[in-house]
Amino acid sequence: MSPSSAAPGVLPGLRESAAYITGLGKPTVAAVLAGARDRGRVALQPRCGVGGHAEMKALLLALEAAAAPDVLTLTIDSHTRLRRFDRAARTLAARPRDLNGYPLVNHGWRRGRELNEAVGAPLEVRHGSPDPRALFDVAVAGGITSFEGGGISYNLPYSKDVSLMSSLAAWEAVDRSCGALADLGVVVDRELFGTLTAVLVPPSISLAVSVLEAVLATRAGVKCVSIAYPQGGHLIQDVAALEAIPVLARNHLPAEVQVHPVLHEFMGVFPRQRGHAEDLILYGALVARLGGASKLITKTYEEAAGIPGTRANIDGLRLAGRANSPLLGGLLSVDRDRVREERGWILAEVAEIVEPVLARDRDPAAAIVEAFARGTLDIPFSASRFARSAIVPKRDAEGAIRYLSAGALPLSRATLRRHHELLYGRDGSGTPAGSPLADLTRDINYFPHLFGEEPM
Amino acid sequence: MTQTVAQPTGLDGTAGRRLVILGVAASDCHVVANQLIAYALRGQGFEVVNLGACTPVEEFARAYRTHPEAEAVLIGSLNGHVHEDLRDLPEARRSGRIGCPVVVGGNLSVGSVKDPSSASRLYDLGVDLIVEDPDDLPAVLDRLRETRAEEARLARSPVS
Repeated sequence: MSPSSAAPGVLPGLRESAAYITGLGKPTVAAVLAGARDRGRVALQPRCGVGGHAEMKALLLALEAAAAPDVLTLTIDSHTRLRRFDRAARTLAARPRDLNGYPLVNHGWRRGRELNEAVGAPLEVRHGSPDPRALFDVAVAGGITSFEGGGISYNLPYSKDVSLMSSLAAWEAVDRSCGALADLGVVVDRELFGTLTAVLVPPSISLAVSVLEAVLATRAGVKCVSIAYPQGGHLIQDVAALEAIPVLARNHLPAEVQVHPVLHEFMGVFPRQRGHAEDLILYGALVARLGGASKLITKTYEEAAGIPGTRANIDGLRLAGRANSPLLGGLLSVDRDRVREERGWILAEVAEIVEPVLARDRDPAAAIVEAFARGTLDIPFSASRFARSAIVPKRDAEGAIRYLSAGALPLSRATLRRHHELLYGRDGSGTPAGSPLADLTRDINYFPHLFGEEPM
Repeated sequence: MTQTVAQPTGLDGTAGRRLVILGVAASDCHVVANQLIAYALRGQGFEVVNLGACTPVEEFARAYRTHPEAEAVLIGSLNGHVHEDLRDLPEARRSGRIGCPVVVGGNLSVGSVKDPSSASRLYDLGVDLIVEDPDDLPAVLDRLRETRAEEARLARSPVS
């Protein structure tokens, strides 16, 4: 890849970029999140990215005009995510509509600034790159103040053959640049992708991975961390997981670092019918409010069909915004005793998973790599060969996500016993029937099934 | 997932063994359906060489070289990039480096409104079949196998 086709123009240095961002006349993402939290309101953000530059600009303008999200997104295409810049360039030239996101590296930092200057909301780059250094450099030069991902969470779900050691090193370079920018007065929000493979992710796995990435990021100088958790679908479990995030931050991160809980509206198989999909969107937004999230990433009624059109994206944002209404305050409640109990178990599980990694008197990145190799860190449905994927998740009778098999995770006997009892009943009488594959498929299709939609 | 596959009859000398090569297209990391399909096919008695996520055409061709008895190469794609990802497929088909049928399934164009030219562009690239529902795979593989057996029979019969 020649530099000229990957990144038109020479990139400005960090100092120039910091001065540009300071002079841009709009808040950073970190400032928007802090403001939302102080006002007790959930900030809203869509996913959005198309291949062509004019089309991307039009999309951002349309979303801002009709739905005024607090943060706007550049979702990056998957060729760029995997550093296949030549393929992104070829598709951009021939059929830009065939790209599933905006190829920012090919478009270049000047166009990034043009997008930034076109809208009032600050921008976040969302992608899925195990090695995001080129993309980060262009993003910062474009004045973008939030960057999603991490050395674990943007490797294992997104690549097959990239070693964790190399992705962690690449992300450390990004986090160090964020530290340098903070020294220049610009705080870049680093959102950690606890959503992972987005399918039946046990909360303690999501949060454990985010805690480890947050420890690495803050040690490298990051001053604002968003910890994203994927809505699993069970009210008590989801509220408890969101509420665990500030506790984990207090336990593991420096006090001066801003930490924001973020909810990703349900990321698994969405219902197809518009009314059902909208029920799920509103439900997710209410969970974000009940769990004290600083930000919500929205979905649309077109989720089951593919990347949404502009109209659906606007409607999804507006619907989620209803959950912020002051009228709902008195109507919204959740069984706080059950949340407290569930949160206690989640915190205990996260501690059991991360403490052996962090307690070692050694480089935490090396400890993470070794733990994934042994399976004492693990994720379900890994795309990568560098995680074992020995974890098998399963929904309990209420729909909460439990460990059917915890693989080699170092969970205590008390934890494992609780998961077993929640799945099988205290006396084992609730032993699920049917084949493991049929059970797993039904758990994955939980929401379409709940609404009585026929399987695809 | 309740169909039964035709039992091998030994016609082609591979009695008792039906092998398929499975993988997700090169720029695509969606692996959950891939793992479920592998699990289901194995449950139906197939031997599955699962190359997993992010598999370039070249890697499918290497797997075919190792397993020339493969009944089909099954390629999933959910991110809408399948046409660019299969750009090297015509050459692999022409040269015989992938010498068995190629079956594609998933979400085959970007966006919630589907591009009607998507399928014809895939056939032009050398894809033999597009499968809408992964549950249909055993029946599709049975049909492909019958077609191949028929072709082999015709090739052996004297030309009149």
